[in-house]
Amino acid sequence: MELDVKSVTPEYDQLNWVIIHGRGVLNTGHAGAFARGLATAGVVSGRESYYYMRYDDSPERDNIPLIFYTVIGNPKIDVTLHEEVEPIGGVFSAIVVMEPTMLISQTSQRALLFDGAKKDAVLVVNTSLSPKEVIRLVKKRCLAQDWCGKLVTIRAREYDANIAFPLLAALAKAWNVVSLDDLLDALDSAGHRDKTGLVKRVYSVVEPVEVRITAKETLMAQTRKSKSSCKFKKGRWDLETYRSYQKAAAEALSYAERIKAMPSWQVLSPGLIEFGPSQNEKNKGFTTSFARFLRPTIDKSKCTDCKMCSLYCPDGAIDSKGVEVDLNYCKGCGICARVCPSKAISMMSELLAEEGLTEKEITSIEDALVEYGY
Amino acid sequence: MWTGTRAIAEAVKLADVDVIAAYPIRPYTGVMNSLAKMLADGEFAAEIIGADSEHSQFEIAKHASAVGARTFVGSSGVGLAYAAEPIVVTALGQLPVVAMAGCRALDDPGNFGMEWNDVLTFRDSGWLMSWAKDPQEALDMILVAYRVSEDRRVLLPSFVAVDGAAITHISAPVEPPSREGVARFLPPYKPLYPLDPACGPITKAQHIAPSLIGPELRKVVDNSMAQSREVIQEAWKDYAVFVGREYPPFIENKYIEDAEIALVTMGAYAKDAWYVATKLRQEGVKVGVVRMRYFRPFPQRELAEALGKVKAAGVVDFSYSFGSADSSSVLFNEVRSALYESGSHPLLMDFMFVGGREPSVEHFEQAVRLLQKGAREKVVEKYVWWPTLRGESQ
Amino acid sequence: MSERPLIRTVRDVPSVDLYTSGHRTCAGCGAALGYRLLLKAAGPKTVVLGPTGCMYVANGHQFLSSPYSVPWYHTQLGAGGAAGVGTAAAFRSLMMKGKRKKEDVNVVVYGGDGGTGDMGFSGLSMAMGYDYKRFLYVLYDNESYANTGIQASSMTPWGASTTFTPTGKIKRIGNLRMKKNVALIIAAHPGVRYVATATLYPPLDFINKTEKALEADGPAFIHLLVPCPKGWFTDPKYTLDLSRSALETGLWVSWEYENGEFSLSYRPEPRRNVKEYLRMQKRFEHLTDDNIEEIERMTAKEWDYWKEMDEQKRMIIPWVAPPWPSP
Repeated sequence: MELDVKSVTPEYDQLNWVIIHGRGVLNTGHAGAFARGLATAGVVSGRESYYYMRYDDSPERDNIPLIFYTVIGNPKIDVTLHEEVEPIGGVFSAIVVMEPTMLISQTSQRALLFDGAKKDAVLVVNTSLSPKEVIRLVKKRCLAQDWCGKLVTIRAREYDANIAFPLLAALAKAWNVVSLDDLLDALDSAGHRDKTGLVKRVYSVVEPVEVRITAKETLMAQTRKSKSSCKFKKGRWDLETYRSYQKAAAEALSYAERIKAMPSWQVLSPGLIEFGPSQNEKNKGFTTSFARFLRPTIDKSKCTDCKMCSLYCPDGAIDSKGVEVDLNYCKGCGICARVCPSKAISMMSELLAEEGLTEKEITSIEDALVEYGY
Repeated sequence: MWTGTRAIAEAVKLADVDVIAAYPIRPYTGVMNSLAKMLADGEFAAEIIGADSEHSQFEIAKHASAVGARTFVGSSGVGLAYAAEPIVVTALGQLPVVAMAGCRALDDPGNFGMEWNDVLTFRDSGWLMSWAKDPQEALDMILVAYRVSEDRRVLLPSFVAVDGAAITHISAPVEPPSREGVARFLPPYKPLYPLDPACGPITKAQHIAPSLIGPELRKVVDNSMAQSREVIQEAWKDYAVFVGREYPPFIENKYIEDAEIALVTMGAYAKDAWYVATKLRQEGVKVGVVRMRYFRPFPQRELAEALGKVKAAGVVDFSYSFGSADSSSVLFNEVRSALYESGSHPLLMDFMFVGGREPSVEHFEQAVRLLQKGAREKVVEKYVWWPTLRGESQ
Repeated sequence: MSERPLIRTVRDVPSVDLYTSGHRTCAGCGAALGYRLLLKAAGPKTVVLGPTGCMYVANGHQFLSSPYSVPWYHTQLGAGGAAGVGTAAAFRSLMMKGKRKKEDVNVVVYGGDGGTGDMGFSGLSMAMGYDYKRFLYVLYDNESYANTGIQASSMTPWGASTTFTPTGKIKRIGNLRMKKNVALIIAAHPGVRYVATATLYPPLDFINKTEKALEADGPAFIHLLVPCPKGWFTDPKYTLDLSRSALETGLWVSWEYENGEFSLSYRPEPRRNVKEYLRMQKRFEHLTDDNIEEIERMTAKEWDYWKEMDEQKRMIIPWVAPPWPSP
């Protein structure tokens, strides 16, 4: 339906949306605590605020990226309800990355990290990398538009096993929507008085940096330009038609593009029909490299070609013939390394493998907070 | 002379159904008993499975249909309620299952009496629904249901509803069509995408993200239902040609051309309404009867046309809808809603025959009298009546 | 009886994946691995029914995305048995009536413990009572309703923490129910030809059992233990370690029951203390050493039955007193 609206729009740009990226199960508790703390800070400072996990990320799954949102209102206008915040246009005032490798992978919405970000967004990253290194990654991987905002990095686990608290402090320092006092009041009211000290400490220590990147400096903007629009056949819903739609959707670089690439109802066949991969093909509609923060490396000198790694990969990402890892589908679970009888496989940080960067902020199940039931 | 259940079994046999899923519950069970005997005697071939519950029963039919088998299933009362999950899923998965509903009052308490709510519960689900008036029409409706459901423009399941006891258990003369007639009328079932390794890796009913494709999938079902009208008309036309029995597709009218009063109903008791109308016409009462054959798709156009000049119409309804507008009943609400935008706005009254107590012709005459009064005075202090309720006031 | 020789080496495992890469399952998902191995063994002439659960939602949840290279249809949570029967009945009918070419087509249902052991139990029982051949129901047991966020099912072990049975200040042990042994119950269905239990380790056990099951002369059932990193709260990399430990501690028993003859597939000798298995998983974190010893005692007792069954090659129903009221 072509919407002819002039007067009523969601006014996202006047609300303060924060998008929080974390890894399923490993970060759910932390991301939830962060989103909650932030929303509480909004409420105690007199503004209508909400937080929630993106419903489509429910249930959260180990390693699979998930998103939490917090929205802090503006006293002049009402907060509109919008559960699925599609990153279209400038919506997000702050972006929080709870696990460093998420800087180089797609988000849960299979979009770029900065999709939907406001031009002056604040980026908070839990990482040991320097701001310079982060900015380089952002230019290369996360951005396809101008960014004229702030970046603050912090290695959260140095301060608390619950990384939400250090990250809240970091955000408060860089973001003009929530002050340190708001945050401290929130901690107080939510029964986290014990975290006051560390929050103050982090607040004093973090140093947000101004960042200025233009779209043409980014790799993603160039990639976008070079992609021609896909042509697909309308008409009968058959394997060929399906594959062309599938391809267009998979190649979409943003959530908005993906939605646009979907077929209209007239194209569909009755009966909820989709077409699985042909034999020897994989599911082109869904790659899963975005789930990976560790990558298996195979020492061919130790490998005896026993095929165990290939047999035991839940994702079928290790080719049985050549014992090659398909990085489009490997989630970095580490089973292959465990089952290899000759210890030929070791798990390497994805940041190191992809970008040559050494990340010291290690996310693991050990400090995950149990928070299920979504 | 066959009961409604026996007649339906004959239709299922003539349709050369491939898979039948059975589970006993009164009053529809007879159809499965008949089918089981026919199969045991080799009158036709099919897999018949006694399921562990109605839920499994309707699941079996749905999955057999997905592979490409022509299927038959049925239930009554709370059995239909138990099968609610597969019932709603079958329509949304667009599988042409044909089911018999032997209309029976819902529990509690247990009650073998006749009510329509058991199948009307699914009126929004996407199933086609038709109401037979006698065993003969029940047989005919089953055959037409296969033809319409399996048509690629439709691909929606069908309920053929037969009033419990009044049709399921009363034996009446039934003329089965010839096998040749059926063969010419009903082509074999050829699904678009059978769930079969010979037909490629179909993934059916994958879990989806609503933001990507939610409304579109619903629209496909909606469109199929809209297309069913045309297919229904074609089918009944062909039925008359190849089998030799003719019915108006959507509604059957009697004495409606100059009627000032009308009774609107479905099912077996239309017979009683006709009887009453015939008698009262002799008195000079300008009363007509509208018998709806299809409830889904709802014959909105035909109904508005039939009631175009009528001053007062009474819905003879074997259902209830607690808490609905005017505390009325399902058919009444649908009729009223259907007429809202039409040029036809007769005074509408609701005559609810619920709890399974059988109506008598006197009740129908009483309804006509109340409608006459209403048409005369143009105002009515009570729209909704429970004629069979002890103590129901005038 | 199976004519086909067993697969003896990993190299002989069919290389084609019919449950392919590209699904939104947890890293290290045991159920996904189970699916992959199952369909490798079943081969392309297979129709799969997938009841609601992780192996439905995690394998989709988008549009234009499917990892199934064989015909696949969703079915309802409690409808696995009925879905399988409906599918098998259609093939048999169409083939018998000459409407479809006669050939062997496998009907496989891959359903979880929640849907199969609870809601779908009656349908499963019905399915096991009929005589459809090349009919296999694999119950993937991750010991919870995982897809809805880890709730207790009748197959959640005693003492495990789930969102319906969380550990709390007043109630330390939430789950008092004992793990139901569905495979034993199915074995008691007279018409069933092949019942087995398995887990993801040893490598070829489940694959061979799948092949044997499909060649049995009637309905077959396999109860597959699949470690679940999210529900068991373990690191994804330990999925196979957990399978192995479950066997070595005897908390999971791997056996076969073929046309009435029972045999153990794996006999842990010596059986390791359950402690090492339980202490790997945060869902048992709140159990005291006494609780763990209790579980060890119960396991030891149960093993008397398994050993006796293996010796006699017959089934005997184990009975072990539950620790009620809870310590």
